[in-house]
Amino acid sequence: MTVETMPKAVPPVPSKTAPGVRVGGLSVVYKTSAGELPAIAGINLDLVPGTITGVVGESGSGKSTLALSLLNAVQPPGRIAAGSVEIDGLGDVVALRGEDLRKARGRHIGYVFQAAQNSLNPLKTVGKQLLDLGRSHGVSDLRALVREAKELLGRMGMDGARVLDSHQHELSGGMRQRVGIMLALVLNAHLVVLDEPTTALDMITQATILRIIREVHEERGLTTLVITHDLGVVAEVADRLAVMYGGRIVEQGPTREVLGGPRHPYTRGLLRAIPRLVGDIDEARALPGRPPTLGTVPREGCVFRERCPLRMDVCDTVEPLAIADGPRIVACHAVDAAAAKETKA
Amino acid sequence: MTVIARRLAGHLARGLVMVLVVTTISFVIIRNIPGDPIAARYEKLIEQGMSPDQAERATAVLYGFMPKGTLWQQYVDYMTGLFTLDLGESLMTPGAQVTDVLFEATKWTVLPVLVGTLLSFLIGVMMGVYAAIKRSGKLGDVLAVSGSLLHGIPQYVLALLLGALFTTLIPILPSGGTADIMFEPGFNLDYIGSLIEHATLPVLTYALASYGGWILAMKSSVVTVLGDDFILAAELRGMKRGIIFRYIARNAILPLFTILALSLGLLFGGAIFIERIFNYPGLGLMLIDSITNRDFALMGGAFLLITVAIIIANIVADMLYTVIDPRVRSGEEVAR
Repeated sequence: MTVETMPKAVPPVPSKTAPGVRVGGLSVVYKTSAGELPAIAGINLDLVPGTITGVVGESGSGKSTLALSLLNAVQPPGRIAAGSVEIDGLGDVVALRGEDLRKARGRHIGYVFQAAQNSLNPLKTVGKQLLDLGRSHGVSDLRALVREAKELLGRMGMDGARVLDSHQHELSGGMRQRVGIMLALVLNAHLVVLDEPTTALDMITQATILRIIREVHEERGLTTLVITHDLGVVAEVADRLAVMYGGRIVEQGPTREVLGGPRHPYTRGLLRAIPRLVGDIDEARALPGRPPTLGTVPREGCVFRERCPLRMDVCDTVEPLAIADGPRIVACHAVDAAAAKETKA
Repeated sequence: MTVIARRLAGHLARGLVMVLVVTTISFVIIRNIPGDPIAARYEKLIEQGMSPDQAERATAVLYGFMPKGTLWQQYVDYMTGLFTLDLGESLMTPGAQVTDVLFEATKWTVLPVLVGTLLSFLIGVMMGVYAAIKRSGKLGDVLAVSGSLLHGIPQYVLALLLGALFTTLIPILPSGGTADIMFEPGFNLDYIGSLIEHATLPVLTYALASYGGWILAMKSSVVTVLGDDFILAAELRGMKRGIIFRYIARNAILPLFTILALSLGLLFGGAIFIERIFNYPGLGLMLIDSITNRDFALMGGAFLLITVAIIIANIVADMLYTVIDPRVRSGEEVAR
């Protein structure tokens, strides 16, 4: 190959190490008949290089929108209205357009779909789709790509050759999920976003997938973001945890600390709602009320106040700021007030 | 491969049974036309002074079988003739075998119908993809609406409109026949040019009449596939646009192949109006002529051919799906 025939815009070599990610003031709005409504607003979230961050929230809390924003892939009628997503070695993803954006996806950022979703072309074998992926990203040595894919699949406990020769309908949910993880990693992306990686899988397969996520994360030195509605999943894999409600991150911090001593009333409510294996089933208390939808999120004040046991007057008018206390960040007036009292005393 | 062969064998066996059933039904219907035309004819000939022997032969020529013996015996005779592809003689062209007349007419139907249908399929599918991608824009709306309108116009109205437009208002195309008689039939430019000229109007009608359906079917199919998860997944994996487009196109066109194969079978019989209007000597025109002339042997032959065409089209549609859709293929393997 001569120099001329080389593609001009050689994509920056993917970082060999885990990149850091800084999401700053990110807002995404969806166009509806009632005007543009925010799905997420003012999200600040740092992914520390080499860690697994879990984002938990109910349906409609904006967690999937956040995940898609990391690839600047919010689907119309949604759009990123403000903010930035800085990824080491890539810059601000929100500013990327066209081919630059396409090349970043897959090569720098791997995205793993929910297992229940059909993320593979039903008419082509996994192997052929792998080759399509390689060609899309200008991989010259396709044999090496196939070798790498087989190795990854073998690493996840599957027969690589057989899987590459299979169509989607010949694979079980757990196998599809591992194929999805393989496709996200095979181009050597070091930032991986997993959207509901274990939803719709049976318990044993869930455990296997979580173990694989953790092991692959460590072996390849990744920065990983796991989106889930399942606190158990986060407890299992995540180093850090962010809790989303109504399009805001209401609390974040190291997983053990947040789960061990939740501060935000929503996090506390969530944890109280989980039935225990031992003890009385009545100890589990459902959170009263229902989560807001795109149209019912309050325009001002705290998004959680309708369901909050600690509601104060200020909550109706002023949106609580995210206040950092060491590694813990909480956005709640009541928590602030309690902390202020403590420091005075 | 053996799976496909076994599937094909099953289809053929079922198809054969179907042909037998249809032939039997048409045999029974012809024999039970009110007034028993066969007996009436036979008696009329005797009245005219024919010997019973002569009258019987003449009647046999007319109906394609000897009205002799019990109904069952006649049926067996008719069916044995069928297996040797002997459908009797045509009344309209005395001495001509029904099979020969059928094949002569078939070639004038199959070629224009095939060209017209494939043309409209190709253009309709491409426009359908475009209409789906631009579905929120003006051009997409125009395409979809024009598709609906064309789809709504009956074939024969379209044929009349086109005929009036291109043979009378703007007389640039000939009307009627397959070619000018002044040209020597054979492989020479004049004759072939004239053939094409004469076939243009029928082909145009077939194409326009089905084009609207293809646009609408392809548009809705593409819109469905566009919403599928694997398209977003391919986008998030940074696949090239061209590759994603191929993913969409192949998945969206799948259901249309079945419709295509089926419609090809139907068009054997469906060309009646158009051939009548353009006086094009294909199967449809032949069928009309045989009915007006009470040429029952030819009629029976035409029905048989149309039946076989539709059955074959069904088999082709099913086999085609087995080949192009891996999900159907392996479903068969599991069932084995």
